[in-house]
Amino acid sequence: MKLSNRYNKANILTSIIVLIITGIIYYVVIHFILTEKLDRDLAVEENEINQYVNTFHKLPLPASYLDQQVSYKTLNVTTFEREFLNTIYFNPKERKNEPGRSLVTVVHLNGKTIAVTITKSRVESEDLIRIILLITLGITVILLLSLLLINRFVLNRLWRPFYSILNRMKAFEVTRMDTIEQEPTKIDEFNELNKSVNAMAERVRQDYKELKSFTDNASHEMMTPLAVINSKLDSLLQTESFTEQQGALLEDIYHATGRLSRLHQSLLLLAKIENNLIPDFQHIELKEMVQAKIRQFQELLEKSKLVLTEELAPVEVKMSRYLADILLNNLFSNAVRHNVTGGYIFVKLDEQSLTISNSGKARQLQTKIFDRFSKAADSDGLGLGLAITKQICNLYGFRIDYREENGEHVFIVYFGA
Amino acid sequence: MKILVIEDEPALLESILAYFTGEGNICEHASDFAAANEKISLYSYDCILLDLGLPGGEGLELLTRLKQLKKRDGVLIISARHSLDDKLAGLDLGADDYLVKPFHLSELKARVSAIVRRKNFDGNNVIVFNELTVDVSAMKTLVKGNQVVLTKKEFDLLVYFLSNRNKVVTKNAMAEHLWGDEMDLSDDFDFIYTHVKNLRKKLLEAGAADYLRSVYGIGYKFGDI
Repeated sequence: MKLSNRYNKANILTSIIVLIITGIIYYVVIHFILTEKLDRDLAVEENEINQYVNTFHKLPLPASYLDQQVSYKTLNVTTFEREFLNTIYFNPKERKNEPGRSLVTVVHLNGKTIAVTITKSRVESEDLIRIILLITLGITVILLLSLLLINRFVLNRLWRPFYSILNRMKAFEVTRMDTIEQEPTKIDEFNELNKSVNAMAERVRQDYKELKSFTDNASHEMMTPLAVINSKLDSLLQTESFTEQQGALLEDIYHATGRLSRLHQSLLLLAKIENNLIPDFQHIELKEMVQAKIRQFQELLEKSKLVLTEELAPVEVKMSRYLADILLNNLFSNAVRHNVTGGYIFVKLDEQSLTISNSGKARQLQTKIFDRFSKAADSDGLGLGLAITKQICNLYGFRIDYREENGEHVFIVYFGA
Repeated sequence: MKILVIEDEPALLESILAYFTGEGNICEHASDFAAANEKISLYSYDCILLDLGLPGGEGLELLTRLKQLKKRDGVLIISARHSLDDKLAGLDLGADDYLVKPFHLSELKARVSAIVRRKNFDGNNVIVFNELTVDVSAMKTLVKGNQVVLTKKEFDLLVYFLSNRNKVVTKNAMAEHLWGDEMDLSDDFDFIYTHVKNLRKKLLEAGAADYLRSVYGIGYKFGDI
């Protein structure tokens, strides 16, 4: 729900409630005041009748009253409560029944108790109340309409800088070095938002720069000693006066160094993918890459006597060529490494997915297979290949699935999430 | 060939110089930007090995400098930075190749030799070693004038051996050269053996001397008997 809608809702609801309550109060108060006035008029009439009776010792004629009706009735009781009541009476002037206000009182004349009913028309006051109610309703409607109009036009205009800032934040890319421009606005809040967003973008960019330079430096600082060890080993090997035993030692050192540098490169690569530091983004003919990869792995397949069958459709994906190569490398070396001698590999590529299934030992490792440094006890890999594969998939919104059935291991990469 | 090694890490510099010196190669070195700049301005080299992270300046600037001086020296960048941007920037500025640390000295030598061959023989890219003649651009191998048919991998292997004459080359380095270092091939390089065996057999059958020797199971050495 949009903020303005939410605000509108609250605003209009409150307005309606307040206006209804005001209307009710209005009605009750005015009604009360008008009734009070009628009652006072009736009391004045009563007073006049009383005075007339006291002076002339007879009842005044009912017809002599213009605005009210007076009627008499002889009572048998001696005590009588004086009361005001609302009635409906026949107005001979208007020739119809009208609501009226009556005062029933008694006069004592010649020892008789006579009930006097004075009735005044309530039509005027009812009219007044109706007019007041209509005006109140009219004001309510006008107020609501103007509120809606204000919301629609003024609020939209007021919020425009906000949406423009929002759009620029959405379009913000940390790798691009352009700043988020100031959106000119006179509203303090938006100015502050603008400033904060710009400051944040600046900070993010700064962090990104630092991270990048840290990655670079870490790589440099660790690679240099590794390069020295490697070159010294190569030099040592040229001196050629080793026993068989020393040769074996050298080979172990070579392996460890090679492993260390691969490990380091893999970790740096993971960090780079996670921080989206690989900008090279292009259309890739995946079929050709898979075919090239199969050729590249030919010797390894032959060595383990693996039979590879392929079912490749031309597919184009958008990703980094470098990462695509690594993705295929990892999946293929995985299929080769965890295979059995004389086993098979099946590669299928279609518009939706890339499937690589291979024979292998039956294992239960479904859940942790994509975790870093998780690997089979007898595997001599780094335990990073599939973690990198998963990260690459995440980066491009691909989904990777793994399942194992009776020693067949299947990896499926779905290109569309 | 005449080579300039620009590298600020003394231990690495020393290894490179030791590996390259000999067989008629002249190696000079510079350890900082100023020294490198001076050498580049004063002399010409067949190939310059350039480390990008130098004290006193950015290595890439030396490339720009070379271009300004209109020199035709071959340049191989050696960098610890595995960054695509740097690689592209370096190659754009006219470097011939890019090698990421850590590397095998044999790989470095093979790449430098390739650059020098390309620069010096302008298309006529031929290596001659005793009775062996290898035409790199035409991918032809001749033993005593007779052609030997080699597979692509065997041919690459032979060129690699010839670039690293009389040096022990590890199986690890050979595998990375032939299949690329991204392949994550575990540590088992035994399948190299098949290629080496086939290459040796073909050369022997064509009447070449047996130049290949296995060394401690770590690698091979190709060279004078």
